[in-house]
Amino acid sequence: MTTADWTVLTIYLLGIVAFGLWVGRGNRRIDDFFLAGRQMRWWAVGLSVMATQISAITFVGTTGQAYGDGMRFLVVYFGLPFAMVILCVTLVPFFYRARVFTAYEYLERRFDARTRTLTSLLFLLSRGLSVGVTLYAPSLVLSVILGWSEQATILLMGGSTVAYVIYGGNRSVIWTDVVQMGIIWLGIFLCLGVAVAQLPRGFGFRDALALADATGRLTVMDPSPSLTQPYTLWGGLVGGLFLMLSYFGCDQSQVQRYLSGSSLTQSRLSLLFNAFLKVPMQFVILLTGVLVFVFYHFHETPLLWNSVELARLEREAPAGELRELKERFRLAHEARREAAHAFAGSRDQADTERYLAAQRGLEAARAEAVSLVERTRPGKTYNDTNYIFPWYIVSTLRGGLAGLVIAVIFAAAMSSLSGEFNSLATATMVDFYKRYVRPDGGDAHELFVSRVLTAGWGLFACVIALEAGRLGSAIEVVNRFGSYFYGSILGVFGLAVLTPRASSLGAFLGLFTGMLAVALVSRLTAIHFLWYNVVGALTVFAAGLLVTAAMSRWARPAPGGGGP
Amino acid sequence: MPLEVGREGGGEDDERVPLFGTWARIYAAVVLTNVAFMVLIHLFDRWKH
Repeated sequence: MTTADWTVLTIYLLGIVAFGLWVGRGNRRIDDFFLAGRQMRWWAVGLSVMATQISAITFVGTTGQAYGDGMRFLVVYFGLPFAMVILCVTLVPFFYRARVFTAYEYLERRFDARTRTLTSLLFLLSRGLSVGVTLYAPSLVLSVILGWSEQATILLMGGSTVAYVIYGGNRSVIWTDVVQMGIIWLGIFLCLGVAVAQLPRGFGFRDALALADATGRLTVMDPSPSLTQPYTLWGGLVGGLFLMLSYFGCDQSQVQRYLSGSSLTQSRLSLLFNAFLKVPMQFVILLTGVLVFVFYHFHETPLLWNSVELARLEREAPAGELRELKERFRLAHEARREAAHAFAGSRDQADTERYLAAQRGLEAARAEAVSLVERTRPGKTYNDTNYIFPWYIVSTLRGGLAGLVIAVIFAAAMSSLSGEFNSLATATMVDFYKRYVRPDGGDAHELFVSRVLTAGWGLFACVIALEAGRLGSAIEVVNRFGSYFYGSILGVFGLAVLTPRASSLGAFLGLFTGMLAVALVSRLTAIHFLWYNVVGALTVFAAGLLVTAAMSRWARPAPGGGGP
Repeated sequence: MPLEVGREGGGEDDERVPLFGTWARIYAAVVLTNVAFMVLIHLFDRWKH
């Protein structure tokens, strides 16, 4: 990182906090604070919806995944446009016309208070803990890249985000998301352009695609009907559809964004904006990762992408073994570079096989390095997928551009965090404080409590992130538990809007049945996680209808009996 | 202690649908665009670069 990079990063951080504070002034009621006065236009809400979904780990993790595994992950987004259309026709009008603050508030109107309270509690539990991970994961990566402590990056990222969300609420969230999304787009195209521009002379864009194709990294469509195989076309279309319906339809961090639209039309348009742009955007992000893979055929590649782990290995691993491994890796890299040039020149079968053999040789040397790391750190697995893209940024970009792309990582993290802090405070305030503690405390009091709750959730996220290293397996358990009820909550909303006769008891018992079904499927079968939401939603729907039918049959008087 | 049901419906959706004119057209455009993307990605996948 040069002085120019630090200058760009500092300008971004100071600028975004100042901008967030400036646009967020003028909140007088919780309508202003939580829903931006319901005055936002579709394009601002649409960009905010997009920015909330892209966390920093989505950004660096997706490019890293494309580097190692290719573009198969794209299928997860194939269901998104269909989900947006379904939501625009079903849930969005119900939410909008009910004038609710939270998605769960609608469930009390349709069913009862316990269904609302349970679903809101499940949201707070899962989102509350995952916001700690949203903060921890990029902070860890940035601490390695910037050479800071994890604590410093956590407090900088969490503190600066919570500062403008406490003051400006959802208006600050949406407008900073708009700016952050612009910076993210700029960063993506910058990285893509640099990766293409730095290919060696005589090695064109088509050669790069051919090379990636030879390793299977451009394969997207896998038509296998298998439920256990990851990222199949059907898994993406059906599982991805249910995942996106759950996320955009039942997760308060997204619902709150589009409830801020100035009309139902504006709210719907914000989702359709995402429906048009999301798949091409993910395609470009994944293609960037694939081109970084090609880029490192011709530029020096580290043995490990995590420089802190590499330095630790230098200190702790047997010196002779490490030296030999590094030499083998260097020779494998050299052999792959030559094979790649030969492949590009001829594209014949022999050169393709030679290249693939060289690629396997390099992967074997790296696997040995990973194994060496794990041997020197017993009981811990090593995965550096999230470090590939940041390494590429810092080692390749010059003249302030590295600072700009590091700012993109900050922007991606802060845009997700801000929406999550705001939505957690909303659910706590509206579904619990106003519902059970003080229904009418007056505007000033409610605004004050909302700000305290935002600060509380920001603090909670920082504490979880600071302790994440120690809580590692506990957080994983909670995240797994979260996946059990995501689809099940969708099932409850399905019962609410699609079946006028579904009873509150049916929805309540159906929710538990759905969570149990997903828990059993995940424990007892190898079905891929993309299908969990399908299982959960359909089980809740079926169980809810069955309970409703059984109750109405039981309650109906027997023929010939009854009153006088 | 259920919350009071707020103002429901009425007049929020009277804005014109930009560019496409009707909701049915814009939904069809989203679906067709996505299908077109998937076809293009399939061709990209199959293309011998």
